[in-house]
Amino acid sequence: MTATGTITLESVTKHFPGGVVAVDNLSLEVQPGEFLVLVGPSGCGKTTALRMVAGLEPVTDGQIRINDRVVTRLPPRDRDIAMVFQNYALYAHMTVRNNMAFGLKMARMPKDEIRRRVDEAAVMLGLTELLNRKPRQLSGGQRQRVAMGRAIVREPSAFLMDEPLSNLDAKLRVEMRGEIIRVQRRIAAPTLYVTHDQTEAMTMGDRVAILRDGLLQQLGTPDQVYDRPVNAFVAGFIGSPSMNLLPAGLEADGDGCAISVGGARLAAPKLLEQRPALRGYLGKPVTLGIRPEDFGADGEDGEIEVTVARLESLGSELVAYLAPAGMAADTLLTARLERRAALTEGSATRVNVDVDRLYFFDPESGAALT
Amino acid sequence: MTTTLGMRVLKALAVTLIVVWSLAPIVLGVTTSLSTQREVNEGPSHWFPHHPTTQAYRALIGGTTGEHSGGTVTQRGEFVQSMWVSAELALLSASLTLVVATMAAYAFGRLRFRFGGFLLAVLVGTMVVPIFVVVIALFKLMANAHLIDTKKGLVLVFVATLTPLATWLLYTQVREMPAEPEEAALIDGCRRWQAFVRVVIPQMSSGIAAVAAILALSVWGEFLIPLLLTQTQNAKPVTVLITEYVGKYTTNYPILAAGGVLALIPPALLALALNKRITGMLAGS
Repeated sequence: MTATGTITLESVTKHFPGGVVAVDNLSLEVQPGEFLVLVGPSGCGKTTALRMVAGLEPVTDGQIRINDRVVTRLPPRDRDIAMVFQNYALYAHMTVRNNMAFGLKMARMPKDEIRRRVDEAAVMLGLTELLNRKPRQLSGGQRQRVAMGRAIVREPSAFLMDEPLSNLDAKLRVEMRGEIIRVQRRIAAPTLYVTHDQTEAMTMGDRVAILRDGLLQQLGTPDQVYDRPVNAFVAGFIGSPSMNLLPAGLEADGDGCAISVGGARLAAPKLLEQRPALRGYLGKPVTLGIRPEDFGADGEDGEIEVTVARLESLGSELVAYLAPAGMAADTLLTARLERRAALTEGSATRVNVDVDRLYFFDPESGAALT
Repeated sequence: MTTTLGMRVLKALAVTLIVVWSLAPIVLGVTTSLSTQREVNEGPSHWFPHHPTTQAYRALIGGTTGEHSGGTVTQRGEFVQSMWVSAELALLSASLTLVVATMAAYAFGRLRFRFGGFLLAVLVGTMVVPIFVVVIALFKLMANAHLIDTKKGLVLVFVATLTPLATWLLYTQVREMPAEPEEAALIDGCRRWQAFVRVVIPQMSSGIAAVAAILALSVWGEFLIPLLLTQTQNAKPVTVLITEYVGKYTTNYPILAAGGVLALIPPALLALALNKRITGMLAGS
């Protein structure tokens, strides 16, 4: 199927009674065939945004277009969308077949066409054997598939998904991730997918939109938001384990500069050339960001003196929680190290960081300094 | 289970007591209805009739001739007619109440509208006003509307008095029900009322069945309102008719008991039929 259709939000705002601004001036566009993930912590407004697109929540201000048609004030049935809900929202009194056929029946589609589409979707999702069952006779994963099936038989202009995987166990979640992507690629309709799980966002999204307190923080491909977060919030939210964010200072050091963090002093001769924005922060505090995988366990040559507080072996790698010398007692750095790194809990050691891969943020605004 | 033997014995004893307590009057009613008036009046009284007879039932349905009736006169067909009246009242009142209450409960539970919470509070608040308080006004109102001694008059009063309870029971069910299935229906192409009819009502079916049973049973057992608002066989339910079998000087107890036993059967059947649904609702399934 060729990819067509877009979902456009233009300055969409939602005020709830009592003055809560759930979504603040949100603008984004889901491209034809694109899988766009709206991610953020709970209460950030992502579900409200999705419900506004679905027409389940009135829009306070702004415009929503689906396939270039303004739908801001249209009821859900006139928007030509399909939605998959977190708790599946199946019709408990209907069989799987009737659940999937319901929307088509409402659209007064001919019976044989309904049958053909439901059968086709059932094959795609492996539901053929289950068509005559009731939802309560199905497992969580099967219900999730039925919910998907109900959405795809409609062949809508746009898909909306509200945390569809959060009720599944970890293994099934990984499996269904792949399945949803496979089905979406095949249907090729623009999809807006809401989740609080950054791993889902990173693994599934063509692009990721990060929302916080109703405000869009950053919109970009998974690589962009991971490598070039626009602020400390995005930096800390995306990535698992999350980025270490520490108070640090910049000092002039000959032609270049040095970063003082805790008791350590990292020489960074070319830093100011590479990141001109940092020039104004000489002698001032900054927030330093270090990705866990950017630590190296170099033993004696390391620049940062740490005590190993705790080790978690994941088999393929080692996650170490390190207490740096000269910093607040409860500060722990998370480091992803090679599993061969010879560390023991409670011992003192030194670790290294690659200065080129550090992140800097304004301590007040959180904005990235590049 | 870690219950001790003593606990189990105690539990069995308690259950037995409750069963005996509930069933004893019914057993007594059945045995009395199968006795003759003479045997009932004999002392010492005994649990089971020595000469069981269906005479009382025949008299109740076929009518009495003065000599065996022992102070009670029954007209042929009267009792059956009143049973029909009771059934009609229960069925009509319960269905009409359900129509109003289901929609009201859904509106109060789901739709956002001005003064919704206040209106619900007022509606539920009327439940605390006993009917006795308004009985005189009600009588005048019904008399002015020429609704005394009519079934539709009684149905109107029952619907009005039962709607708050039914609305409240169904409202709590609507509040506990997930909203997503009906939202899915709205997205699947339904208008609000279509989603209500096709998705919400099936979802509520256990609750509706349970409330239907509660309503029908309470109308069937209603005594004071029909006593007040009926005068003739036109609209006299069985509860009112039976009391007329109590004579001024003597009462034919077998006939009275037979009336009671027969009047018990329809509600018992209803409760049996809906038992599974009601317990289902209570278990939250």
